[in-house]
Amino acid sequence: MTSSNNARIRAATVTIETTASVAVTSPASVPVPGSHSVLNAQALAMLAQLDPTGANKLLSRVLTTYLLSLARLLGQLAQARLVSDIATVRLVVHTLKSSSASVGALALSAHCGSAEQAVREGRIDALPPILDLLGVEAVGVDAAVRQLLTAG
Amino acid sequence: MTLLHPFDADDSPGRPKVLLVDDDEVTLMLTAVALSDRGFEIIEASSGELALNMLADLTPDMIVLDAMMPGLDGFGTCLALRGSVGFENVPVLMLTGLDDEASITRAYQVGATDFFVKSTQWSLLAGRLRYLLRSARTRMELERSKSKLARAQDLARMGSFDWRNAAAQGGGFGGGQGSGGLALAPEALRVLGFMPNDAVSLRQLVRMVPMPERHGLIRMLGDVQSQNTVLAVDVPVNLPDGRPRIVHVEAEPEFNEHGHSVGYTGIVQDVTERRVAEDRIRHLANFDALTGLPNRRHLIWRTERALDQARRLEHKAAMLLIDLDRFKVINDTLGHAAGDELLVEVARRLRGCVRHSDQVMDASIDAVGARGHRSLEAVGRLGGDEFVALLPEVQDHSDAERVSQRILESLREPVWVGGQECFVTASVGISMYPRDGETVLDLMRNADVAMYSVKNSGRNGTALYSSMLAGRGREKLVLESALHKAIERNELVLHYQPKIDVRLARMVGVEALMRWQRGNTLVPPADFIPLAEETGLIVPLSEWALREAARQAKVWSMNFGFADSIAVNLPSRMFERTDLVEHIHACAVSYGVPHRVIQLEITENELMGDMQKIIPSLHRLNEIGVEISIDDFGTGYSSLAYLTTLPIAELKIDIRFVRHLGDSSQSSAVVTAIIALARSLGLRVIAEGVETLRQMEVLHRLGCGVMQGFLFSRPIPPDELERWHQDTVLPRKAPWIVEASLGAVDSPRGVVGRRP
Repeated sequence: MTSSNNARIRAATVTIETTASVAVTSPASVPVPGSHSVLNAQALAMLAQLDPTGANKLLSRVLTTYLLSLARLLGQLAQARLVSDIATVRLVVHTLKSSSASVGALALSAHCGSAEQAVREGRIDALPPILDLLGVEAVGVDAAVRQLLTAG
Repeated sequence: MTLLHPFDADDSPGRPKVLLVDDDEVTLMLTAVALSDRGFEIIEASSGELALNMLADLTPDMIVLDAMMPGLDGFGTCLALRGSVGFENVPVLMLTGLDDEASITRAYQVGATDFFVKSTQWSLLAGRLRYLLRSARTRMELERSKSKLARAQDLARMGSFDWRNAAAQGGGFGGGQGSGGLALAPEALRVLGFMPNDAVSLRQLVRMVPMPERHGLIRMLGDVQSQNTVLAVDVPVNLPDGRPRIVHVEAEPEFNEHGHSVGYTGIVQDVTERRVAEDRIRHLANFDALTGLPNRRHLIWRTERALDQARRLEHKAAMLLIDLDRFKVINDTLGHAAGDELLVEVARRLRGCVRHSDQVMDASIDAVGARGHRSLEAVGRLGGDEFVALLPEVQDHSDAERVSQRILESLREPVWVGGQECFVTASVGISMYPRDGETVLDLMRNADVAMYSVKNSGRNGTALYSSMLAGRGREKLVLESALHKAIERNELVLHYQPKIDVRLARMVGVEALMRWQRGNTLVPPADFIPLAEETGLIVPLSEWALREAARQAKVWSMNFGFADSIAVNLPSRMFERTDLVEHIHACAVSYGVPHRVIQLEITENELMGDMQKIIPSLHRLNEIGVEISIDDFGTGYSSLAYLTTLPIAELKIDIRFVRHLGDSSQSSAVVTAIIALARSLGLRVIAEGVETLRQMEVLHRLGCGVMQGFLFSRPIPPDELERWHQDTVLPRKAPWIVEASLGAVDSPRGVVGRRP
């Protein structure tokens, strides 16, 4: 890993932390998880390792793909919640779980995991609050990724 | 298999091709990049449907499937894959969630090779993929080597089987109850004539073995199983379609961790061809191709077995050596094909004279118990016209003699060969174990000695060996080899007995008689001429005698004007030789004497025995002036009709009639008849063995004026004869000269045979 890359990732992390603190201080009624980073620095570092020189612009391609995927999946999720399509909800959260983990959105991935587990265990009632939390986290992640892309 | 092979190299590409299937584009992208970095070639598919479509023209080395996907999920995709041709064995890695136990189980159910928890730990994933590839390759090699083995086994008509123990399966090798423990590979089923999917029980297999062998096999299987020993046996079976085959079964026991036998694993192999070939080879090595009888080698083997038994059970055994009489004549006159035909027929008859059994194996001798050695009894052919009958157990020599009698009897009937009837006889020599020898070779040699004694005493008979025969045999052997050298060492000499015309009181010729000066002893002809005849040495001996006679005639003619003839005794076989005339001619020419100096004597018996062959020679000899004298006349059965046509000059009255002249009227009657016969045929007549003046006087009176015998002179060396002629005949000193002269004066017409 080159030092310039490290510096960039460190910068991104700082920015995200800033964004998160903004969210905490926002007037939103949904509680925001405490002191976590929206995007995990270690996970991002691992991503960076896949393209050490940055020649392939892998990071930006992945993040762009993730943003598109996130928007699409969130849309599908909203639609499925409307019609109570539990199967689709499960598929969406499963997919979002792993892709979020890949880009370091660990909290979002964890929410997806909880939702998936609730569906698998038939605890449909427990689903709405989890999905709400998921939605809030997703907004934060989206913003953080965008910021990272802009910075990159 | 460690064999490096070009095909194997193809299976380990530099960059394994991996089809990656995930609906999550982010994961797909990251995983692809991560694995590409780690040496894999990645093909991406974002759904199960897409992946299956791509596989129409793609053969990845392995497939990585996300378990949960919209539409066709990982499980469905895997199931579809396994159902399509070419992807039954391609390794499939299913990616599941960490906590998703149900998915893991299901992954295996749909045929995934392995599962892996989705994570961003790419190195772990890459390591797992490599491991999967390696094991897939190993498995493929195993499959290939299994199929190679199967093909090889098929070619070798061989197949494997497994058999689990009675303890676990409730049934034994011995074909007790049930045999669910038997598992035959398809190749083994084919060997045994079944279809690849047939279920075959051990009992079924045992029933394929024909009856006499089945019991033995069941017993053997029981023994093998109870002692946990290795099984290796050739078993005759009748396949379900009825074909008889020989199957080799080889198996070794298997043990569990406690050391208890759990069953057997092994192979079955169709060895019919090999066995047939082996049998053929064994037969060729042990049996005579012409007659099908045991050959010398096999006979020796049998005899050794028989002697072992005889030694153990302390009984007697006998060996009969059977040699056909004058087989060579048949071969020479009718040809070898006819000779062979004769041998085949003789072999057939000889077989009928003993309890001949062809098949003898080591096992059967012991197996049949105490009397097993009787199966060794056989007739075999040693070679040529020599046969042997082996009697493994006899009470005494009379048993053997009875068999010999049966053999001679069986040959009495004429044999039809070459379109004509042939009469064949045999000489049989018997040797007895243990009396005449303890080894095969001793028995054979002594049977041979006995057989030769039969030959010598006229053939067509039997003789038991005795040490006396052996002694004579040895003596004869020594004599024979000495006789061979006698000619080159100049040990042979001719002695001469004068023939006297008593009316003229003078010598009219001599008879040459062969002697063998062996060291200080003079061997008389009776002691070596028969041996010379038997061995064929008589030919060079006779030729030497003719040459020597011619030489002597020349010496005498120069010394005292000898101009008469020297009579040489020849056996009939000399007359059969086409070069006899040439030889006599050569002798006469080389010494410068006329042909008529040589006179030939042949006995009446020999002449009559082979007359057809001799007559041409007699005529040719006569043409060149060589006279023929019939020796021992009156003892044989001359055909008088022949006598009138034969080109002979002289009859010699046998000594037997001369000896009793004056004592018995019968003798003088015979002599009178012979003289009358000679006279009427225009032949000379001479009496031999004249020892007394009385005999001389009677012969003279009967009309026979020429005679020889001790009265005149015994056979003497040539220089002595010269002296005798000088001292006795010429001075007219001997008493017989006086007598003869008196007789001749007294009774001038005595020559015409006036009766006493």
